[in-house]
Amino acid sequence: MIASYLIPVLFLSLFSYALFKKVRLYDCFTDGIKQAVPLILSLFPYLCGVLMLSALFEQSGLSDVLTNAIAPVLSALGIPPELGKLVLMKPFSGSGATALLSEILSLHGADSYLGRCACVCFGSSETVFYLSAVYFSSAKGKKPVLPVVIALTVNFITVILGCFLCRFL
Amino acid sequence: MNGIFTAVFFLSALLFLIFSPDSFLPALLEGGQKAATLSLSLLAVYCVWLGFFRVMEQSGLSSRISTLFLPVCKKLFRTEDKRAVFLASGNLTANMLGLPGAPTPLGIQATERFMNAGNAYAASMLFVLNATSLQLIPTTVIALRASYGAQSPADVFLPTLIATLFSTLLGALCVRLFVK
Repeated sequence: MIASYLIPVLFLSLFSYALFKKVRLYDCFTDGIKQAVPLILSLFPYLCGVLMLSALFEQSGLSDVLTNAIAPVLSALGIPPELGKLVLMKPFSGSGATALLSEILSLHGADSYLGRCACVCFGSSETVFYLSAVYFSSAKGKKPVLPVVIALTVNFITVILGCFLCRFL
Repeated sequence: MNGIFTAVFFLSALLFLIFSPDSFLPALLEGGQKAATLSLSLLAVYCVWLGFFRVMEQSGLSSRISTLFLPVCKKLFRTEDKRAVFLASGNLTANMLGLPGAPTPLGIQATERFMNAGNAYAASMLFVLNATSLQLIPTTVIALRASYGAQSPADVFLPTLIATLFSTLLGALCVRLFVK
């Protein structure tokens, strides 16, 4: 893949440029690493809260109950009900959604309409709750609600569009 | 987030209470354990990129990047803070290139800087851009499709790209319209 060349090339070009600018590479690189621990520490409580919530959500069967409840709405919008759980899970956890995507691909086949739809939905949406927990973890004061609502709504509309596009492309 | 946490927590806990009270604590612990292992692997990833970004700063490359992106970021984020511009534009670029783990530390620092400067609009814009998926090539999906024997694993590229572009544009538009 492109990315496997990209990363070593990025590092080599930056470090050559830095050498040219007389940067002491070891001192500088380790100085940057210093910030990693405080960053993780401020992140951890939110990460833990969201992941506990997503474990509860999935294992309590709440996600199944909700999937069944919204199935008629989804099919009315052109989203196959089999994707309901994936659509519900994605905002909470990337690894949970990846597991569901694998399950759909192995059950229905990677080239089926369902499999392709699931891939497009997965690829064009993000883990909104997880990201909001992470991004606002270091910010002081009240965390804004509106961007989360916007992101969730837009992601849902995009799922509808993705399922529609998969019929033609 | 408090509302969602409370609602999902109560409903899930009630379901556990009715159907399988024994699995309630293990589920919580599993979440905690995931957070612990995930933070360790994130720590490793952040070490790599934060070291990289520090070299970028010290070599003066980051201020050059800021100058380059300042005109765009003035419009997009309504900011003139050079450091925030570097962080935010770096976050967006790393996202588009699909560099694993690199966008997050930049995004966190940019959000912190925007929020502390009282610029909730910029923080919301950056978050929505990130949360509507910017990745141009869906590498995870392509790898998964290949492992499940798809005829051409990359054939979802086009619909995904269209959907992603659409969601990012719609998201940005919504922030412009609704966030003060």
